[in-house]
Amino acid sequence: MAIHTFAAVDVGSSQQELKIFEISRTRGIRPVDSIVRRIDLGTDTYNTGKIRPERVREMAKLLGEFSSIMQNYGVESYKAYGTSAIREMNNPSLVLPYWERLSGIHIDVLSNSEQRFLDYKSVASRGENFRKMISDSCAIVDIGGGSIQISLFDKDVLTATQNMRLGVLRLYEKLSHIDVRTAQRDEMVEELVNTQLEVFCKLYLGERRIHNIIVVDDYISAIMQANHREFIEADEFCDRVSSLHRTEVTEKMDVSDDDYPLLYVSGVLMRCIIRAFGASLIWAPGVTLCDGIVYEYAERRKLITKTHDFEQDIIECAGNISKRYMGDAERGESLQKIALRIFDATKKYHGMGSREKLLLRLAAILHDCGKFISMANLAECSYNIIMSTEIIGLSHIEREIVANVVLFNHKDFVYYEEQENASDLDEKSYTTIARLTAILRVANGLDRAHSHKFDNLHLAIKDDLLVIQADAGVDISLEKGMFGQRAAFFEEVIGLLPVIRQKK
Amino acid sequence: MGVKMAKTDKKTSSGNTADKALDLRSPAYYWNRELSWLAFDLRCLNEARRKETPLMERLNFLSISASNLDEFFMVRVASLQDMAKGGYTKKDIAGMTATEQLEAILAKTHEFVDLQYSTLNHQILPALKQEGIVFLSDYDELSEAEIQYLDNYYETEVYPVITPMAVDSSRPFPLILNKSLNLGALLRRKTDAGPGILGHTKKAVKALKSERENLEFATVQVPSVLPRVIVLPENLRRDAGKNTETGEEKPAKQTRIVLLDTLIRRHMDSLFRGYDVIYTCPFRIMRSADMDIDEDEAEDLLKEIEKSLKQRRHGDAIRLEVEAGIDPRLLQILVEELHLNPNEVFQVDGPLDLTYLSKVRKVPGYDDLREHRYADPQPVPELPKGCDIFAQIRKGDIFLCHPYETFQPVVDFIANAAVDPQVLAIKQTLYRVSGNSPIIAALAKAADNGKQVTVLVELKARFDEENNIGWARKLEKAGCHVIYGLVGLKTHSKITLVVRREDDGIRRYVHLATGNYNDITARLYTDVGLLTCKEPFGEDATAVFNMLSGYSEPKYWNKLILAPLWMKDRFKYLIGREKTHVLNGEEGHIKAKMNSLCDPDIIEALYDAARAGVKIELIVRGICCLKVGIPGISENITVHSIVGNYLEHARIFWFANGGKPEIYAGSADWMPRNLDRRVEIVFPLEDPKVKEKAEHILDVELDDTEQASILQPDGTYARVDRRGKEKVNSQLIFSQEAVAAAKAAKPPVSEQRVFVPETHQPEE
Repeated sequence: MAIHTFAAVDVGSSQQELKIFEISRTRGIRPVDSIVRRIDLGTDTYNTGKIRPERVREMAKLLGEFSSIMQNYGVESYKAYGTSAIREMNNPSLVLPYWERLSGIHIDVLSNSEQRFLDYKSVASRGENFRKMISDSCAIVDIGGGSIQISLFDKDVLTATQNMRLGVLRLYEKLSHIDVRTAQRDEMVEELVNTQLEVFCKLYLGERRIHNIIVVDDYISAIMQANHREFIEADEFCDRVSSLHRTEVTEKMDVSDDDYPLLYVSGVLMRCIIRAFGASLIWAPGVTLCDGIVYEYAERRKLITKTHDFEQDIIECAGNISKRYMGDAERGESLQKIALRIFDATKKYHGMGSREKLLLRLAAILHDCGKFISMANLAECSYNIIMSTEIIGLSHIEREIVANVVLFNHKDFVYYEEQENASDLDEKSYTTIARLTAILRVANGLDRAHSHKFDNLHLAIKDDLLVIQADAGVDISLEKGMFGQRAAFFEEVIGLLPVIRQKK
Repeated sequence: MGVKMAKTDKKTSSGNTADKALDLRSPAYYWNRELSWLAFDLRCLNEARRKETPLMERLNFLSISASNLDEFFMVRVASLQDMAKGGYTKKDIAGMTATEQLEAILAKTHEFVDLQYSTLNHQILPALKQEGIVFLSDYDELSEAEIQYLDNYYETEVYPVITPMAVDSSRPFPLILNKSLNLGALLRRKTDAGPGILGHTKKAVKALKSERENLEFATVQVPSVLPRVIVLPENLRRDAGKNTETGEEKPAKQTRIVLLDTLIRRHMDSLFRGYDVIYTCPFRIMRSADMDIDEDEAEDLLKEIEKSLKQRRHGDAIRLEVEAGIDPRLLQILVEELHLNPNEVFQVDGPLDLTYLSKVRKVPGYDDLREHRYADPQPVPELPKGCDIFAQIRKGDIFLCHPYETFQPVVDFIANAAVDPQVLAIKQTLYRVSGNSPIIAALAKAADNGKQVTVLVELKARFDEENNIGWARKLEKAGCHVIYGLVGLKTHSKITLVVRREDDGIRRYVHLATGNYNDITARLYTDVGLLTCKEPFGEDATAVFNMLSGYSEPKYWNKLILAPLWMKDRFKYLIGREKTHVLNGEEGHIKAKMNSLCDPDIIEALYDAARAGVKIELIVRGICCLKVGIPGISENITVHSIVGNYLEHARIFWFANGGKPEIYAGSADWMPRNLDRRVEIVFPLEDPKVKEKAEHILDVELDDTEQASILQPDGTYARVDRRGKEKVNSQLIFSQEAVAAAKAAKPPVSEQRVFVPETHQPEE
């Protein structure tokens, strides 16, 4: 039996974890070891943008230890991610290579949406329970220090996801500046939380209720795990929160004094969400980022059978964003169809893979979202909407690629070398933008009148030509006429000249 | 994440809410632990006084009672003195202050020592003499040839290694080493000797009688590098060649023994030339050994311990032993110089330091005077010689009972892992290891073979630090990752983890035990161990070593119960659960075996359960602060203590749990130090066969009629009333069972030709 040994490293803000896994097709993912150390990196970066030197060294030492543990287990591959503390550093370009040089561990930085997506994957990795929970209306509530992420499911599919600045540390921070009686404290947290929740409910729920809540966090999950429980009825949960008195919790439940306030805030926050959603069942699967990392790895390497179609989630989310901005779903659909056919037909020439294909679909879906704001400034508005909407599962760079493809679909392409504003995009990503733009533009050009003229599209490559055949008897003079410029850009980027021909 | 394991069910653990007037923590319900400790030593001494015990074993028990007392003084009396001197007024579990305890202990100890020497003089020595073993303290009883032999021995072996030390103003009172045997002397300068080695300028604050008489004090340490017991060659006897009693040619076998101190005493004159030795008398002192290392300040724990080991020699004297009838002038010097109270001086009627008797036990011959009923450690049926130990463990959990079964499988477990190419890592905690330990050798070899070897060497193991530092260095040199314990906690748990990469992934093999990884003591101590490769145990074992390596604790434990964080609550819960069963009309029953019971929280929980009707049967070898037979409180509790051929050491805990019994074993006693200040592991025994074996140990020991004593309401221990009972010697039964099991497991190989001698089992 082939067994892969994989290591996931989570360089978190307050604690760092190395988790060793064995992955095999027959036995799935099996955790073998988990090594956790608590080094507070967050406080430094949040306050100063830098981690103080002794902690940088301490972290380097820890990574070195991780590295030798990985070696001892004969780990074949690993993935190490830094989260918000690393994300918010001013000087990751200095610190990360330093750590890598000393420990051999390369750390990638996760954007918020990528991190949440991995958390989500870690939940999905729990298979049967996950499927059961999302088969009814369900929300994943991912509680972090700075913000929380609520993702909604409807009939097995992720429909929306929203980030709110209601993280437990943040809430606790706000509370700690105000001198209140214990009884008032509950109300204060509730007030802070409920104003934002109301907006969320209005936007996404309406009259709907969410029956199941999956919670991913550090405090509630830990208590549940310590009690060997994963599920709790919402009523029981709320009762317990109401009786969360400090001495009792710290003594009877053995929570350290340091953790108590955050557990308390987490409890009250969850109670608000339960009430707002009208939830009845809570599931705390006790998963960590590392579980998501290994799941993603195993899924990409096709070492496990997928428990859930995550791409569909992303597409569904994009569809919902488009819907919110009155996008033309039908148009998006046909644009997608044509664009994907061109993508597939010219694969040999552009060399892009399935991930880029997904980005192309998203660009097609979101191609006209900006018209909700201004029809005249469709391009810029679309770009801005995409850039400020979190699409779960996409990295920051990927989101920027989608936004740019949509922008250049409508506007003149700006070459990499001509860029005026600083951007995070590297040359490779920029090339992806160019290629996807070329494809989307041609697709767009074939659907000028939005009249499904190219529903039975036939594509063929002849010498240096991409021959696009339309059905006989369809008037394609408009498309033909406006095609020239698009075709030239396509040829420039992909090396094939698209030409429209009509079947005789 | 500082969230720890959830605690026990509130209803059952919080105890005596039913009767608020009754305070189960009242000092009236507890025995003082030091006095209980002395009661244990008395049980050892009683074995020496017992005529059924073979004579040589009686010597051993007397020797043990002496070394026990030494340890008691160094550790317990020393810390009580610190407390008393420091003005510490807090009362102990039995309501006694440190001063009160000291007074009570010293009074008891005097009685105890008197009993030791009366046992020696009136029972042991006459019995030895009858068997032909004679101690000679008077040179008149020696033949010329014997004296010649001894003089010769003195000149060649002894004289070169002794250092006489005299005291005067320029030479302060010498450092008398802890536990060392010394000869003190009073000297007077010969009139024609010229300028002496001693000046006369000392202006003592208090003029001692000896000073007024112009006597000087000198001392010689009896060298510890030479054997204290000198056996005279048999052919030197005066009657060599004829038997004195019968006049026949062949004399009766006789072993004539002279102690080293007797020999040196004879030659004192020659050590102080120019002086007349007026008087010589042996003396021995005990110093406090209770050392506290401030770990927070100690940058390098290792160095700190080495330093404190040196300091130990300078600890305050807390006991002085001298021969009865010592010259008061000499005694006065010692008492003054060592700052002793009168009740700290023990005048004994015989040789000091009775531990020499264990050497006498080893003199050649006299086999009929030794214990032979107990077989050597037997092979473990599940682990036949040369088997694939990992394959055997995969078949199912293996329970090991030492010393009835051999410790070799544990050594093999590590030795095999060291050379097994599939093994990735070996992790182990070492508390006390033997000299030349095969386990250390195996670990070093494993590191050499490129395995990841992590060893936690507990440097704070009392009296063993020097030994442990040596091993730690050796392991480090071999490339092992050595962890020197945890700050503030002594790591007492006994656990080994072997991580192996197998065809279907990583598999972890775990050995958990109640006793140390010490192949020598495993022949003398009764301990149990478990070899398992069940995943939940493997996961927990991995987490234990991560924790010991300084990483965070796991979110939860599958099987193992760890002190100091989780164990006490778990035990309180398990005890309380029995009470709940009784309240629900079911049976409540606890059987537990340990070395010491003195944790007030646990005792309170036991009282509380017993009051509700839980039957509690305890086997406590040593200290027991719990009182039995308190009306309305502990009438349901019995405490047995077994002092036998082997040192009872296993800790096993059985809970009836309403018909679904749970049984645990581990490294922890029910003592505050184990539950609150040490890293300990208690593990459940789950395999039905293993459970049965462990419960069998408890049941047979509870039925023991031969080596058991039973705690009485007055705090004394009485032998089992044997009337109407079958004779049961639990240790002997376990030994016989191990022999039978090993025999049954042996494959019937026809060409095997081994003659097994029948073991002689005389009737008691």
